[in-house]
Amino acid sequence: MEINVNKHISGQFNDELEQIRNDVLKMGGLVEQQLTNALNAVNNSDTKLARQVLENDYLVNKLEVQIDEDCTRIIAKRQPAASDLRLVLAIIKTITDLERIGDEAERIANVALESFNKAQQEFLVSMDNMGRKAINMLNNVLDAFARMDVDAAFKVHKADKKLDKEYEAITRQLMTHMMEDPRSIPKVMDVLWSVRSLERIGDRCQNISEYVIYFVKGKDVRHTSEADIKDKVLS
Amino acid sequence: MISVAPDMSNKKSSVVDLDSLREEQIALRIKNLDLYYGEKQALENISMNIPKGQVTAFIGPSGCGKSTLLRCINRMNDLVDTCRIEGEILLHNQNIYEKSVDVASLRRKVGMVFQRPNPFPKSIYENVVYGLRLQGINDRRTLDEVVERSLRNAALWNEVKDRLHDSALGLSGGQQQRLVIARAIAIEPEVLLLDEPTSALDPISTLTIEELITELKDKYTVVIVTHNMQQAARVSDQTAFMYMGQLIEHADTNTLFTTPSKKKTEDYITGRYG
Repeated sequence: MEINVNKHISGQFNDELEQIRNDVLKMGGLVEQQLTNALNAVNNSDTKLARQVLENDYLVNKLEVQIDEDCTRIIAKRQPAASDLRLVLAIIKTITDLERIGDEAERIANVALESFNKAQQEFLVSMDNMGRKAINMLNNVLDAFARMDVDAAFKVHKADKKLDKEYEAITRQLMTHMMEDPRSIPKVMDVLWSVRSLERIGDRCQNISEYVIYFVKGKDVRHTSEADIKDKVLS
Repeated sequence: MISVAPDMSNKKSSVVDLDSLREEQIALRIKNLDLYYGEKQALENISMNIPKGQVTAFIGPSGCGKSTLLRCINRMNDLVDTCRIEGEILLHNQNIYEKSVDVASLRRKVGMVFQRPNPFPKSIYENVVYGLRLQGINDRRTLDEVVERSLRNAALWNEVKDRLHDSALGLSGGQQQRLVIARAIAIEPEVLLLDEPTSALDPISTLTIEELITELKDKYTVVIVTHNMQQAARVSDQTAFMYMGQLIEHADTNTLFTTPSKKKTEDYITGRYG
């Protein structure tokens, strides 16, 4: 079924829904910027940029609170039903995940404040690689959200597996290094936590892709296998 | 949220699956019902099963035929000269439109409450026992029992027990509406039809009536027409959406208000242009 977000008899209601949708995209753009900056900061040992990421996290938090309030007001005043209700619910959940992605970016930025020797720089390269994939996933899921595109959302859903594999590979690499050179453990742990953050970002993008599918199809696909989503929801 | 994963939602056990109703779960069966007012067709080929012991709500824009359909269930449309009906409504496997059916006895089984409370200009007590007196029941003790039971079931007893012999017209609108419901259930109908029972009431009286409706369904099958979609969402187990004389979608209320399957239903319940 095709969903028109506008076309309510109440123009004001249209505006309110449009507004929260735009705010989510704004918040998404901000989070994406934070994550990109965090990774660049690590890559270039740019402590200034890293500090900027740490400082700007409050902007993400502020948007989350504001969108939450707007959603509360819409529920109280408009009693949304069907696709409107699903949109509001999807947004409430999406911004929680976005806020957490913002927190992960903050954690990664902290790594940029450490100094690494030459050998350790190597890990940062693999981490950067994985980071690009995470940014890509975030970008794609925001795009799927903007267009409410189920197929694009499903692609993001599937992409998370690749990120998980990469996480495992890097973890193995880091473990080997720790065994070879125990003195490096504190630094390696920092990198490990960041890699873990990137893996979690993938999970959160996957969550958001599930909310997009929920909004459009009306089916809750959390904790559902990919095959089931494909057969029972998207077909 | 509707889940395709194992169903862990705490659904009320009272919700039944409309597609697999067993014979004994059906209170009313409407089959291929067409209704014409003169040349104009007001209902087109309506078929639906109304489950027993549940609240079924009819929603839809003005003139969609929901009140007309409700009135068909106790043959109120017989009073309209130009009205012509084809198809069947089965109550206990008996078509209520068969010639042999006694309309008065049908209406004893299928009671009705209207939009505006319409108590008779008599005492509260006499209003409740009116239907029994018509049946020739005048035994004081029986009547007393019925009055107390009906008023209790209509959630009005505590407010009027000390003034049963005062005029019913002295009650507030919300109380009058509950009195009318008490009068309808005094004769123990099987089905209770409510035609916009709260549209003339204030929000608090409305909530009292809604609370009453959910209690009534333990004993009666309730069919309610309402313009207030949130009300349908609150009180009903099943909702039927009608549009221009057609039944567009009939589903359990939880599904219909979160994930309707038809575009028209979606547009209507979310308040969009058709």
